[in-house]
Amino acid sequence: MSFEEISHTADVKIRAHAPTLEALFTDAFLALMQVVYGNDRKEGTIKEIQLKADNIETLICDFLSEVLFIAEVEGLVFSRTEITIKDLHLTAILYGESFDPVRHSSGTEVKGISYSGLVIRKNANGYMLDILFDV
Amino acid sequence: MIEGVRQTGVNEWEVPVGYVPGMRVPGKFFLSESLGSSLESGAIEQLANVATLPGIIRHSLAMPDIHWGYGFPIGGVAAFSLDEGVISPGGVGFDINCGVRLLTTPLAQKDISGRRDLIEELFRAVPTGVGGKSTLRISPPDLERMMNKGASWAVDAGYGVKRDLIRCEDGGYMKQADCHAVSAKAKQRGVPQGGTLGSGNHFLEMQVVSEIFDPEAARAFGLQLGQICCMIHCGSRGLGHQVCTDHLKLLESATKKYHITIPDRQLACAPITSMEGKDYFGAMAASANYAWANRQLITHTVRQVLAKMFRIDYDSMPLVYDVAHNVAKIEEHNVDGKRMNVCVHRKGATRAFGPDSDELPPDLKKIGQPVIIPGSMGTSSFVLRGTKIAMEKTFGSTCHGAGRIMSRTQAKKSLSGKEITANLLKAGIIVRAHSENAIADEAPEVYKSSDEVVNVVHEAGISRLVARLSPLGVIKG
Repeated sequence: MSFEEISHTADVKIRAHAPTLEALFTDAFLALMQVVYGNDRKEGTIKEIQLKADNIETLICDFLSEVLFIAEVEGLVFSRTEITIKDLHLTAILYGESFDPVRHSSGTEVKGISYSGLVIRKNANGYMLDILFDV
Repeated sequence: MIEGVRQTGVNEWEVPVGYVPGMRVPGKFFLSESLGSSLESGAIEQLANVATLPGIIRHSLAMPDIHWGYGFPIGGVAAFSLDEGVISPGGVGFDINCGVRLLTTPLAQKDISGRRDLIEELFRAVPTGVGGKSTLRISPPDLERMMNKGASWAVDAGYGVKRDLIRCEDGGYMKQADCHAVSAKAKQRGVPQGGTLGSGNHFLEMQVVSEIFDPEAARAFGLQLGQICCMIHCGSRGLGHQVCTDHLKLLESATKKYHITIPDRQLACAPITSMEGKDYFGAMAASANYAWANRQLITHTVRQVLAKMFRIDYDSMPLVYDVAHNVAKIEEHNVDGKRMNVCVHRKGATRAFGPDSDELPPDLKKIGQPVIIPGSMGTSSFVLRGTKIAMEKTFGSTCHGAGRIMSRTQAKKSLSGKEITANLLKAGIIVRAHSENAIADEAPEVYKSSDEVVNVVHEAGISRLVARLSPLGVIKG
């Protein structure tokens, strides 16, 4: 896990570095869950997401938006994911548990995943990501 | 002040065409020199980016609570021609019709000062925070009615009184709502969240009227010195967030289809007259209506709590007004000496219609529209009134709040929720939230001074001060 919260006045800006695209998406997913639900998250329930997109930026926004949707409507909080990405097709297995108001209320709701300032770049060590969550 | 901008009047600044490539009109913002020290260049760039959009009229505008957002800056206002202009979710935001309303009561400060039991009861009665679910049973047909009729549905269903509606912007609902343009996913999120406050900067605050600046307007708005009021700040919850997410994607394709060049993907847009533009507008209006219904449902809960606890009449707590902060509207304005309908986007800005506006109820025609400006936690909130100058300069718009100056990461490093709660309690303000993080995130220090922000709009004449409200107790998500 390699992500950090970068100073941003209004919203939550996350920067991640990872050796592969899958690991980069995983970092963004973990950052999102941490922002909304805090750190005390366990496993038990499994969900699957399949998506495709025209480009990698759209794919990450769609993936994180879908995670937000499933978490909210199904009352689930996720702690881990296994992701495969091939030709802009994503499959993610999400591991989580039911929302517990006692343990999962320390965060803040994310209203949306923004395209503003979204950067995914390949470099010598793999990939870097800057992404903004509207809170 | 940031390099490249120039002063054009007292607290008025211009961002000239050319600040970013492709600007069709200049940018204009209202800010004092002292607030200028916290202005981010990113916010001015976003203001300039908006000026590149097709059909923009006169200026890309920003209010003194301007700060860096996504797409439009927060505090951004822009009007677009209906023939040549575009509509963009980036000019409204994810939280469609995030807004604020103010409720008066017959109570005085001595009745509620130090009453932790009141704050606890409100915290119990109004669902707040992450995962907060409605205690009301909203059926899918009710949801359709919420989206079509907004606060008007809520009042008809018994969650308020008829008079509430004439004290809401647009009578509590936009007639252009189109539920068919709202996805099944958005509707699924909307059902369990009606009547919930949410988290982040949303709050419900008990306040006292601590200063009157304009006695005639205060009287017309039903405000008296020493009176207890309740301010409610929230929006369209997951339903609105999903509508923005869904339509941003659809409009991104439309941007390409209509060959519109945009400098930021979050400014994805479509001609107002296009099918994609109309669909977004209809879905956004439905979400705005959901938000008005939501604030009406919370108002009902607050009235029930206060009526029971203080043995006062449910009908003795009239609404001063309800305003939207994040919305796009078709409004009639003067453009080049002609009256014409335009599409006004307000992203973190408040409608502030001046006297004689057709939109105002008869008893407020002479005074102007009430404008409710929430302060940050622990600081003053304000009531202002709209002006004719706002109609001329800002398409009838003013600021919406204090505006952040400190990031959440900085806030958490420098301030503990516990210390903030203790300090506020010493000042006579009771704070109740689900977590200390939520308090640290929204501490008074992370915002501009609300006094300074409202002074800028008052001096610029785009709205005028009517009353100050001081906080006594607040619940946060």
